[in-house]
Amino acid sequence: MIVEKKKKRVSKRNKTAWRKHSDIRDVEEFLEEQRLEERLGRFDTKKDDELFIVDTQGDGDEEDKPDIKPLSAKQQKRAKLNETPRCFQILLPSSKVEDPNKKRNIVKRFGTKPTALSKLTLKRKIENGSLQKKIELVKKNMKISRERKKKSKVVRETFDKNLWGQDLLEVKGIPETLCEEFISTEAQLHNVLTTQRLRPKPPPPKTVVDRVAIETPHPGVSYNPTFKEHQELLQDVVQHEEKMMKKEAHINRVTTKMFRRISAKSKENQWIEEMSVGFQPSRPQDESDVSDNEYRPVNPPVQNKKKDHKARRKQKEMILEKERLKRQKIDKKKITDIYKLRKLNTSISTKEKRLESEREKRESKKQAEAKTALPALNAHKAPVKEPDFVPPEQLSGDLRSLNASTNLLRDRFESLQRRGALAASKVMMKKNRKVKSYYKAGHKVTDQDVEKYMQNVNKKVKISK
Amino acid sequence: MVSKKKKKYSSGEGAQFMTRKAALKKLQLTLKDFRRICILKGIYPREPRNRKRAQKGAGGIKTLYHTKDIKFLLHEPIIWKIRELKVFQQKIRRAKSMREYGKVKKYFRDYPEINIDHIVKERYPTFVDALRDLDDCLTLCFLFSTFPSLKRVPRDQSMLCRRLTIEFMHALIVAKAIRRVFISVKGYYYQAELEGQTITWIVPHHFSFQPQSKDEVDFKIMSTFVEFYITMLGFVNFKLYNSLNLVYPPKLTAGFNSDSEKALVDEQAYVSERIAAMNLSLAKVVGSNEVEEVPEMDVFETDDQDPLKIEEARKEAEQIKVLKTLFKGLKFFINREVPREPLVFIIRCFGGEVSWDRDHFVGATFDESDESITYQIVDRPSMDKQYLSRYYVQPQWVFDSVNTRTLLPINKYLMGATLPPHLSPFIDKTKDQVYIPPEQRALNDPDYKPPGDDDDESEDIEEASDEDKEEKSDEESETEEQILTKQYQAEVAQDSASDNGDEEVDEKKKLSKEKKKKMAVKTGITHKEHPYQKEIEDKQAYRLREKLVRKKHRNLYKSMKAGQEKRKQDIWLLRKKRRLHDEKVKEERKAEKQKQKAEALNAAL
Repeated sequence: MIVEKKKKRVSKRNKTAWRKHSDIRDVEEFLEEQRLEERLGRFDTKKDDELFIVDTQGDGDEEDKPDIKPLSAKQQKRAKLNETPRCFQILLPSSKVEDPNKKRNIVKRFGTKPTALSKLTLKRKIENGSLQKKIELVKKNMKISRERKKKSKVVRETFDKNLWGQDLLEVKGIPETLCEEFISTEAQLHNVLTTQRLRPKPPPPKTVVDRVAIETPHPGVSYNPTFKEHQELLQDVVQHEEKMMKKEAHINRVTTKMFRRISAKSKENQWIEEMSVGFQPSRPQDESDVSDNEYRPVNPPVQNKKKDHKARRKQKEMILEKERLKRQKIDKKKITDIYKLRKLNTSISTKEKRLESEREKRESKKQAEAKTALPALNAHKAPVKEPDFVPPEQLSGDLRSLNASTNLLRDRFESLQRRGALAASKVMMKKNRKVKSYYKAGHKVTDQDVEKYMQNVNKKVKISK
Repeated sequence: MVSKKKKKYSSGEGAQFMTRKAALKKLQLTLKDFRRICILKGIYPREPRNRKRAQKGAGGIKTLYHTKDIKFLLHEPIIWKIRELKVFQQKIRRAKSMREYGKVKKYFRDYPEINIDHIVKERYPTFVDALRDLDDCLTLCFLFSTFPSLKRVPRDQSMLCRRLTIEFMHALIVAKAIRRVFISVKGYYYQAELEGQTITWIVPHHFSFQPQSKDEVDFKIMSTFVEFYITMLGFVNFKLYNSLNLVYPPKLTAGFNSDSEKALVDEQAYVSERIAAMNLSLAKVVGSNEVEEVPEMDVFETDDQDPLKIEEARKEAEQIKVLKTLFKGLKFFINREVPREPLVFIIRCFGGEVSWDRDHFVGATFDESDESITYQIVDRPSMDKQYLSRYYVQPQWVFDSVNTRTLLPINKYLMGATLPPHLSPFIDKTKDQVYIPPEQRALNDPDYKPPGDDDDESEDIEEASDEDKEEKSDEESETEEQILTKQYQAEVAQDSASDNGDEEVDEKKKLSKEKKKKMAVKTGITHKEHPYQKEIEDKQAYRLREKLVRKKHRNLYKSMKAGQEKRKQDIWLLRKKRRLHDEKVKEERKAEKQKQKAEALNAAL
């Protein structure tokens, strides 16, 4: 094992070498001590009572408790308000190092203390009365600005300009702030907003434009209708209802009724049967099998019987013959078709005509449907218009005892959807959160407490319901 | 070099449309704000021709918007306003949760208002455009005017709706623009004509608020619509008042100032205040003349000189002229059980004067004891104290009179009478080739007399099951009634348009004289025109003209003619059936009468 000897002499030629090999620990210690002294003050300059405490109590057991009432929680909090918060303590100066620049100007925050000059000027202003004036002016300005704001809010309620007139500045697109007399027309024109002319708006959808907002009412919805018209309306309602029923029946048939229904008992039986397949020996099914007493596999072996040459040849010949006959038939048909040309022509043309007429019919039907079709703007469908019908027993025939049956707001809302001005949507209701409440058990809880609590909970539930 | 490959859906239908989500991202708005701005600016979702392509290959149904529409929205200065609002909302929310209510108040005070005047102008470049789109606006405003303050509706909205609707009704009263009314189970349908545009709207019954269930209607959306419509209606009102030489805003009763909002918490008080406001006459602009009467219609030379059409238009104009002054000079008193709102509006619209019970409601102009009242509108079977100087009619008479454009005979509308059905004035006039039973025809057209009316047969049929003893008295009363009706009609004719009628009679006489002069046979001319011959010639000419119909339209023409013929046949058949039935009933009745007479004779003997 080779122990490296410490070198007696080392080169301290370079700065790094010097640093590496010279011992400066004592210097650093000294400096550290000095810094500490600077910070905390010299040890020997400190007074005795700063360093020592006179022990008046001694080591005796008896402890005189000071007769101070403990602070309440609130008082403690109050007391803490005056303290500097813990988080700010780090920002406070802890150093005892004196300010190197002792003549530093202390800059007071503005308004903390009046200067001599400001005192003089203030005095002069008060004597002049200019201060009073200024205060009044400020108050007045504030009032004006407040009122202007108020007025600008009321603008919405007062309609005081002819929007369709020619001479109105606002109409020309000049911003409101420039619509005053003393602003030159050049300045106004320069500031015309470009909003309206930037892009042409594409025309609104056809459904919005074409469909009327208020449909003409069926004469049967009169509060005092004629018998005939009322019956017609009733027929409409019946048709509508039948359509809906048919739809519902269809949906029922296609969904619920598509699946077989099994009673609970039979389901259980089935389950038992399925689950106990391997347990019981399968019962013999045929009596003849039992009598035979011989083992028979479920799938008896099949023998691969090869065809001989003759059979193969015959098969080939048969296929060829069949093909030949087919060809012959086609060739014959070609010849006969030449004579049938006119007939074929007519049949083709009649078919074309038929198809044409069918297509026309389909198209016209499609167009008619598109006129009243509900726009598909969303995954939800707009509600179909339901005829508003009042059953005859509710029709009193006089205005006094008329009761409105339809919700007009809903009618409007749905009409907007039917016209395509709004995408149909289902109004999602906010669900009330279900908050479970518990009673925290403790050693002091009595049965009465629990009862009282439960009563409160029940009350709340009732109110929310 | 190979050119860069074109990305799919970067042109064509895929680029034309934009999903709502993409639009939100592009505009940097929340869904709530986007909905609002779309409604205000009139941007609607679109239905593409090929959904798959428009959705860039994505399945399902998404809400799509035109990219152009969204780009158009991008330049709207209101978007910046909306973003400003968002900041305010955040501040308010924070202040509320920190319980700094002073700050909340301050924020609410400084809350920026959105001014949408320029949008109204942009969406409706001309006044007529605005009028054309007023249907929805009016219906919603009338509806919202019945609402109390709701959770999702701004507080001032329903108040403003009330004021604006009343102002609009006043404009209609002055312009005499109402043409049709219809009382349905839903509400009152009104149709007015302003500047050649027909405007239809619905006013709900009673002005009472029905509680709305939350899951049916999105209140926020509807209130945004109303926000736009209010601004629009305000400016329409301003323009209307200007053109009618009225002062805008009108000074209405105290209930329509925002200061007294609190005073009118009571629904009933509000309604009566509203009706009272309608009974005021408005201040005219100083120095303006009365709105001059519309001059006689001029006939211009146009391309299609169909004398029938011109005649029809002239007739219509004349009827409207009569309608405008239908109730002029008449005084109405409305009993307290009658819904006053529509009646006051309608009667004032056609120049009548209205009043009601002074003790029950505000704004009455004259008392019930006033002898100059011509009609009292009653909706109860009987009354203790009746004045001889006035007619007691049921409210439907007013509406039916307006729809038929004449003062109807009141005998069917008297107090306690079973009312005739209230017919809809909104009928399709193109479907006139249908059979109408004589009773209904008499209702539609007061001049029409059912066949066999002279013998009182039409009424007799209804009472066929009645006992015979009452019949005679019945007949007498009916004849009395008829006499009354005739008298009444004559009276009304004298009252309302006596001068017009005289002129017409004079003209007729003149015409007949001239015709007689022309018909005088001069000596030496032997040619005589057979009317029958002429008819035949006319028919031949017509057939010749029919032949001139182009081949393209011939089939259509033929089918049209055939349809007309068939409908005529049907009507004829039904009329014949009805006639035969009537005759049969009549004969049976006669036979029964004779039989009873004979029995009575036998008994007497």
